[in-house]
Amino acid sequence: MSFTQDKEAKEAEEALVREFQAGNLEAYDKIAELYQKKIYALSFNLTRNQMDAQDVTQEVLLTLFKKVHTFQGKSAFSSWVYRITLNATYMKLRSKKKEPNVSLEDLLPSYNGAGFQQDKIQDWSENTESLVFTNETKEVIQKAVDQLPEKEKVVFMLRDVEGLSTEKVSEILDLTIPAVKSRLHRARLFLRKKLSHYFEEYQSRREKK
Amino acid sequence: MICCKECLDLLSDYLDGELEPKTCASLEEHFQDCPPCIAFLNTFKTSTDICRGTLNQVEIPEIVQAKLKEFITENTRKKG
Repeated sequence: MSFTQDKEAKEAEEALVREFQAGNLEAYDKIAELYQKKIYALSFNLTRNQMDAQDVTQEVLLTLFKKVHTFQGKSAFSSWVYRITLNATYMKLRSKKKEPNVSLEDLLPSYNGAGFQQDKIQDWSENTESLVFTNETKEVIQKAVDQLPEKEKVVFMLRDVEGLSTEKVSEILDLTIPAVKSRLHRARLFLRKKLSHYFEEYQSRREKK
Repeated sequence: MICCKECLDLLSDYLDGELEPKTCASLEEHFQDCPPCIAFLNTFKTSTDICRGTLNQVEIPEIVQAKLKEFITENTRKKG
């Protein structure tokens, strides 16, 4: 989206919010329509459960309806919606049994004393095409993302999956820009390592044939 | 020349286009002489792309869509 389009969309959204705050229910319907997929997708990707994502979406849409008068416009409306969504999702997750945490440190690159890579790095990037759309690969990817520690996962979801800017993510999560960048980088390193196990195995099986 | 660690630490900023031209040039100079870092760069980028592609496929199922609509109407419109 270009800057102008971005600005126009933002202004249109602000106008909708003002109309809704003034009591226009059609404006609320439009806001709900605009956001429900984003709310559902973010919540589903964090809970990996349709029922939970549905509950969260309902709860968020109701909160928007009931609490819109408390929105003061200090941050973007969308940031407010994302924050409510994350809070509702975390409340949902709190009642669930947690997967054991995977140590992020173990999956970061290792270096020798001079700062050069110690791991043998295979380049499997050209050989993913035939695998990417299989259900097995989809499961491997989802599992890898599920294993990300929460702090890194939420940044990855907002920045890379939702496509929000670093500044926007820092506003939503109330983090500094360097903190957002560092968590995103660690999440990407973690995912690379996790997926490498899978794709390297596939590549070596193919080479043996 | 920068070492692998310095290079990999800057990989996200490099791919997101957030490096100063001078730092960017140092990284590219490193890549020219370091096949493992090129392999790392390619697999790093591909991992991010395919994770994004997979997680972006989430759609609201029709049945959920219908329930949400019903829920909104029930809770936001005064009855009677």
